[in-house]
Parts: sequence; structure tokens; C-alpha cells
Amino acid sequence: MEFKAKILLVDDDPDFLEMHKAVLKNHGFDVVTATNGREGLERVRAEMPDLIVLDLMMEKHDAGFSFTKQIKTDPLFKAIPVLMVTSVAEATGYRFSLQEDGYWMKTDDFLDKPVMPEVLVGRVEKLLAEKRG
Amino acid sequence: MTVNNRANILVVDDEMGIREACKRALVREGYAVDLAEDGNLGLQKIKETSHDLILMDLMMPGIGGLDLIKKTNDIDPEIIIVVITGYATIETAVEATKRGAYDYLPKPFTPEALTALVQRGLEKRELRLEAQRLHHEREQRLLELAGEKSRLRTIIGCMADGVLVTNLERQLVLWNTSAVKMLKLAGTDESGHPLNRYLKDASLIESMENILTSKDESVSMLSRELHIEDPKSVLMAALAPVRDEQGELLGAVTVLRDITKLKEIENIKSQFVSMVAHELRAPLAAVEGWLDIVISGEAGGDRTLERQWLERAKERSKSLLALINDLLEINKIEAGKVAQKMEPVPVAQVILKIADFLKPEADKRGISFAIRLPDGLPAVPADLQDMEKLFTNLISNAIKYNVDNGSITVSGGVDENYVGLHIQDTGIGIAKEDLPRIFEDFYRVENPQTRQISGTGLGLTIAKKIVDSHFGHIEVKTRPNHGSTFSVYLPYVRRKAAGVKAEP
Repeated sequence: MEFKAKILLVDDDPDFLEMHKAVLKNHGFDVVTATNGREGLERVRAEMPDLIVLDLMMEKHDAGFSFTKQIKTDPLFKAIPVLMVTSVAEATGYRFSLQEDGYWMKTDDFLDKPVMPEVLVGRVEKLLAEKRG
Repeated sequence: MTVNNRANILVVDDEMGIREACKRALVREGYAVDLAEDGNLGLQKIKETSHDLILMDLMMPGIGGLDLIKKTNDIDPEIIIVVITGYATIETAVEATKRGAYDYLPKPFTPEALTALVQRGLEKRELRLEAQRLHHEREQRLLELAGEKSRLRTIIGCMADGVLVTNLERQLVLWNTSAVKMLKLAGTDESGHPLNRYLKDASLIESMENILTSKDESVSMLSRELHIEDPKSVLMAALAPVRDEQGELLGAVTVLRDITKLKEIENIKSQFVSMVAHELRAPLAAVEGWLDIVISGEAGGDRTLERQWLERAKERSKSLLALINDLLEINKIEAGKVAQKMEPVPVAQVILKIADFLKPEADKRGISFAIRLPDGLPAVPADLQDMEKLFTNLISNAIKYNVDNGSITVSGGVDENYVGLHIQDTGIGIAKEDLPRIFEDFYRVENPQTRQISGTGLGLTIAKKIVDSHFGHIEVKTRPNHGSTFSVYLPYVRRKAAGVKAEP
């Protein structure tokens, strides 16, 4: 791959951060990381990533939502695809779907943790391909 | 008493001949006969014993017959009075009967006439007594009925649950003050109006309507939750049809119970479950994630990298196990005293043991211990395992949240009622905004300083629950970047002897 896409990982769980970083680097992506929403926004401004992989449950429970809202309402960044990775599953009483919550959530795709490496890579590549149109 | 039951007859006459003649005739008929020779004596006898019938002369010395009639009636209005008189004129007879005599017997009379009249008089007496008895019974019944009604109202009035009764016309016929308070019923000082005039809650009116219009006789109860605004409360309303003995519908009864508190507890519980599920899922997902990237060969055959990843998985599964142990611990404490084995626990020794056990961990970061517990700290009545867990959590926090090469000082003291133990660290301290929440389930202070510190978020929850269950209290003094002191106060039993002495 000639073009090395830059992926920003935002997750407050260091395990997922490192694990996803290892997988994505392994598949030829450039990876930058942030452990909270504020740091994530700084990274977005400084690095202008091609895609963001975001965990929903950072610090406060709606941190993921407000982070995406800021990205998607900013004309500079709204084209950056956001892949939401979440451990907020059905079992805990929540369920999110692109159909029901997509409009407000303004993210581009959802995945439940843990994500199989090939699924993560597959989704990231798909979103990047869509972005390039 | 029946006529055959040896009626008691009193003869009051100043003529001995009459008295004796009457007695002879009456005794022969089987009656008990008393005699009196004048009105005063007669009156005395009437007062002393109960008589069924009195034969009296109207003209006597002392109290006259007419006077005696009145006085006798005052004593027992149902006594049959038969007047014997030599002046058997219509006037005296009328006068006597007006005053309450039953009949009269003109002198001279035959024994047969006497016994016939006495017989008739006693029958009358029997009727009068029967009537009196019936009257009395009815009075009693009415009294009981009134008592029953007011008793019912009193009991319903005292009930903590609200009660509403409506008839088929949807009129409110019975209610209590609890119902008035719970439903904010308006205008209940006037009864008998349609329900909707008192009650605003449409859903309750609708439910009552369902009960009253249900054709199905098997409908025996209907319950629903009512959400009341201002003040916010949740009521459980149980409605049932009121039927008479033939099963005919008479109305509906509603019993209301305030379940606001129960609902709150239910909410807290389900929030806790949802929180626990998330807290369990996160580490498990991480373990799974690490295993996934090893299995799918992401390391590309690099054994060292694979090993690193597996070690990360192991770390997280260890933390998951710790979390589950903490949850079980909380469960144990909350299950109550059943699991606690109270015995005199020498807390100083417990602390020394724990500090010893945790020393290797402290040594790794150059943290030193200073244990300054006075000799002779009294033992506290406690569960030994609980005490070990309590001080493990507090001292382990003092290590985890300390700075490298910091120190931990454990001191103690005793006052009239409590043994106080203070665990002081030189660590990062707790920010003001975090302080009120540190004892909450799963609450962890999140900042760059704490990011690398692992924990379940339940350590202080457990510590507080243990202290609470031992009737003690826990306090924190802290200054960010200077350290924290956690103080535990546990009640102890004072010995009679002066001077404290450590117990084994």
C-alpha cells in the first residue's frame, strides 16, 4: 500500500489502545493514540487523521457522543469517518444501532468490543474506501 | 321464667284472714307465697326479693295501696299488681289500673276466682318479660351494629395503606386519611359525590370502571401502578369488586400502597447490575481481544510479542478475578450479620500482619512503613476476615496511590468508645471534587496520575461497608499532592479494670 492512512485511536482502556494499535500497524496503517476526548480532539487538530476509531465509554458515559458531535459539526473534520467501538452491549441494557441512533450519533459505523483483528481491519479499509469515493 | 316455674307471689293486706286465705289457696296451686301486713313491710319485701305478682289491699294503714302501686312500679315495672278491695267501685278500680295495676279482685272472693286471676296475671307477666327481653336484645344488637361500624371506620382510618370504596353509582362511600393523602383527594368532607369529583387520577378511575363493568365474575383483583406528581410518588393500587353473599356486585374497593421507596431500591439495584455487567465485560473483552490477536497470528510468528500479549491478557483476567472477589465480598457484607463471626480481634496485630504481607509490593517502589501503634490497644468485637480485608484495602491503597519512595504511617489511639486507626500516606491525595464520591461503587479517580493504577473501584466501597457493619465510621483527610489519611473508628467493649491491656 503506497498511501499510508493515518488512524487515530481514542480509548481510555490501555489494553484496547495497544491491541488495536498493534493490529492496525501490522496492516500498514499509521497509528496515533489518545486516552481521552480532550486529548483526542487535540490529536485530530494536530494530525488530521484519515479515520478515527473511538470507544464510547470514556471518562463520562456520554464522552464518545460529544466527541463525535464536535468532529461531525466541524466543517474541517466532518469528512473524517468515525468508527465507534463500544463495550456498551445489550447485556448492560443499552443497544445502539446505526438505523436508530445513527443520525444523532453521527458516527459512521459501530463495532462491539472485542473486535476480531480481521473485522477491525476490514471495517477500517471499507470506511477509508468509501471516503475516497 | 314460666308460669309453672313456681312463681313468687306477695300478698300485702292488713287483714290476717285474707292473707292466710290467699296463701292457702295459692300454695295449693304450687306458688311460693310471701306475706306482708302493711304497705311499708310489703315495699321492703318487694325491694328485697323479686316477685312476679302482688296482691294488695288498697286501704291499709301506712302507705296506701295507690302509693304502693307507684313505688312498686318504680322498682319493677313488669310486676303484676292485682288490687284486692272491699270498695269495689268502678272508680277505685279505674284509678288503680291507671296507676299501673293489672286488675282488681273485689272482696269477698272465692279461692277459684283468686287463682284464676293470679293465673291470668302471671301469663301477662310472662308476656311482659318476653317483650322486655326482645326489646333489650334489639337494643343490644343496634348498639353492637353501631359499634361495629365505628370500629370498622376506626380500623380503616388507622391503616397505613389507603382505602377507597365506591358503590355501583361510582360514588365514593368510604375512604381513609391515608388515601386522602396519597391521592390528594379533594373535598372529602362531603361524601356521596361521584368519584371524579374527589379524584384527579384518570387511570385509577378507569381501573375502577373496569372492575365495576366487568361481566366476568372471575375478576377478583386488578392491580396497577399509579405515578403521582407533586410530591412524586409511586403507588400500587389493588382493586377488587365488592360482592354480597349472593355474589351480586355492590361496588369496588381499592387499596393503595406507597411503593416509592421500593421503586427507588429497585432502580438502584438495576443500575448496580447494569454497572457490574459493564465492569465485568470490559476486562473480559480485553482478555478476549488479546487472545484474538494472538490466535489470528497478528504477531507474525514473533514469539516474544505473542508472549507479551498473553501476559497482558493474564493481567486483565487477574483484575477480573479481583473484581469478582470484591463483588462477592460486598455481597457477603450486605447479606448481613449471618456471615460475620464476631470475636475479639486485636486490630494492632492484624495491621502488623497485613503490613508485613504487603511489604514486598511497597518495597518495589521504595515506600517505607512506620507502624506506630501504642501498646495495649483494646481488641474490638469484629469479624477477623472483615478486619483483614478492611486494612488490606486501606494499606494497599496507601501503597498504590503513594509516590515512589514515599512512606506510610499507621498510628492508633483509643477514646471512651472507639479504637481509632489512622493510615497516612504521602501520595497524590484526592481532589476536592472527587472526595465525596470515593466510597461509591466503581468510582475511581481518573487523572493522569491514576491512569496506571489498577483497581476494581470497589476497595473503599468494601472498606466503608465493613466499617458500617461493625457500627464504626471512616474518615478521610487529604491534600492533593501531599497525601491522604484514612481513619477508621471501631467501637470496643471497655474493660472494668483501669488501664488497657491488649487481648490475645
